[in-house]
Amino acid sequence: MKDALQSIEVPGAEAARERAATIVLAAFETREPIPRGRRGRVLAVGGALAAAALAIAAASPPGMAVVDRVREVVGIERSAPALFALPAAGRLLVASDGGAWVVQADGTKRLLAGYRDASWSPFGRFLVATRRNELATLEPDGTLHWTLARPGVRLARWGGTQADTRIAYVDHTGIRVVAGDGTGDRLLAPAETGPLAWRPGARHLLAYVSASEVRVQDADAGRVLWRASRGPNEPVRALEWSDDGRRLLVLASHVLRVYDGKGHTVLRDVPNGTGRFTDAAFVPGTQRVVALRNGSDVFRLDTGRTVFRGSGLAGVTPSPDGAWLLVTWPRADQWVFVGPHGTLRAVAGVTEQFRSRSGFPRVEGWCCVRP
Amino acid sequence: MAGAGRDERAWVRGAQRGSAPDLEALFHAHWPAAHRAAYLVVHDAALAEDVAQEAFLAAVRHLDRFDRRRPFGPWLHRIVVNRAIDAARARGVRHESELTEQAAAAEQREPVDRSVLRSLAGLPPEQRAVIVLRHLLGYTPGEIAHLLDLPRGTVNSRLRRGLDAMRGAL
Repeated sequence: MKDALQSIEVPGAEAARERAATIVLAAFETREPIPRGRRGRVLAVGGALAAAALAIAAASPPGMAVVDRVREVVGIERSAPALFALPAAGRLLVASDGGAWVVQADGTKRLLAGYRDASWSPFGRFLVATRRNELATLEPDGTLHWTLARPGVRLARWGGTQADTRIAYVDHTGIRVVAGDGTGDRLLAPAETGPLAWRPGARHLLAYVSASEVRVQDADAGRVLWRASRGPNEPVRALEWSDDGRRLLVLASHVLRVYDGKGHTVLRDVPNGTGRFTDAAFVPGTQRVVALRNGSDVFRLDTGRTVFRGSGLAGVTPSPDGAWLLVTWPRADQWVFVGPHGTLRAVAGVTEQFRSRSGFPRVEGWCCVRP
Repeated sequence: MAGAGRDERAWVRGAQRGSAPDLEALFHAHWPAAHRAAYLVVHDAALAEDVAQEAFLAAVRHLDRFDRRRPFGPWLHRIVVNRAIDAARARGVRHESELTEQAAAAEQREPVDRSVLRSLAGLPPEQRAVIVLRHLLGYTPGEIAHLLDLPRGTVNSRLRRGLDAMRGAL
């Protein structure tokens, strides 16, 4: 039996060994050894954290109610012909091939023409957007603040506090960082291509995904604070911090992981059968995750309960207050807002409203948790 | 067992003191068995890499707490196999379809390879784990009971049922 088990070839064993060696050694070199006298205390603190995590997991979550019904037809029959208003406070940022759109709570839309992707500043006062070879910061009304010419710029993300912010982005050289006022542009992670996400808070800590690992790096000091296995080598579909900065969500098609602030995996989920994850996000103000599986099932990870089902869904974006969930539905050309007690509000004709000629408009963010 | 003995204790001691070459030696001594064990339990190469890698990262994180008078292998294998069982359970039905593809690929390479993989695949993850611990990694039923925190009788029954089922499939 031993010979038989040892004769089984593990596919890609050598490449796996090399990847693992790189990651394990890097983790070893960046670890912080525990002084012998502190070990008991560290264990006790670890136990307290575990208990807190369990308490969070067991807490009865408010917000979205369960809508566990299968929709046989594509789309919601009784849908509004246009987006007259958002069901919750805040502003949406949407990217279509016509440009970036800012949507106010009353339904007012403004087109920032020519920008391919955009994201909010930490408190939603500004946004950063990219177009071919140019990064720009703007106000939601389109007023331009400053621009930076960079080859192939994309994936711009804005982080920090009201007083001190940083923008991270990707260009042909790797991941770069520039201050919120446009000064001090520099290369942070050569050859890396993201995705990336700023940890909320005063320290400028950037999470990004490399070919083999997830890293969190201090953008000012340049030091990598932690790195962790990112799992199977497949594209990462979502990378997001919880509002409190204590959890990091990394979503790939076949594995969803949540790391704690030190890079330990605290939650790992894989879809059943031949399933795949499509999208996932933290519910604002919580560490709970809502996920979309197989483009059809929107469910809460803590309870496993389905909040919406449809065929050909693309993404999920919670409202800033966590009470509503925007589900994008390209196949039906609809947005569906799923609210408390199973309330549904659907909007039809989304592609036309955002003047998209090819591709369904992408929701880049619903801002903001904090005023 | 890989890496057992005086060298291994020296590597652990060195790694605890911060020596990267010693940690690297530990890694290279233990990775092949850990990776293979994970693969035989989860039957998915990417997931096995993930499981084994996470086990090593956990080992690195807790290295300072490790009692270096003890062998490193059982400590690591305990993490690997427990994580592999969890991963295989969570994977649910999915591993079956992937296994079919991998078994089909194996069929073209090596008949023994194919038949053992297939027969192992038909077992629940818990039975696969004890067979891998017993027959790949060489632990006694008593040691497996300790590693998996199970009664020895449970280990013996899982071994017996698993091997009977494999024989039937072979």
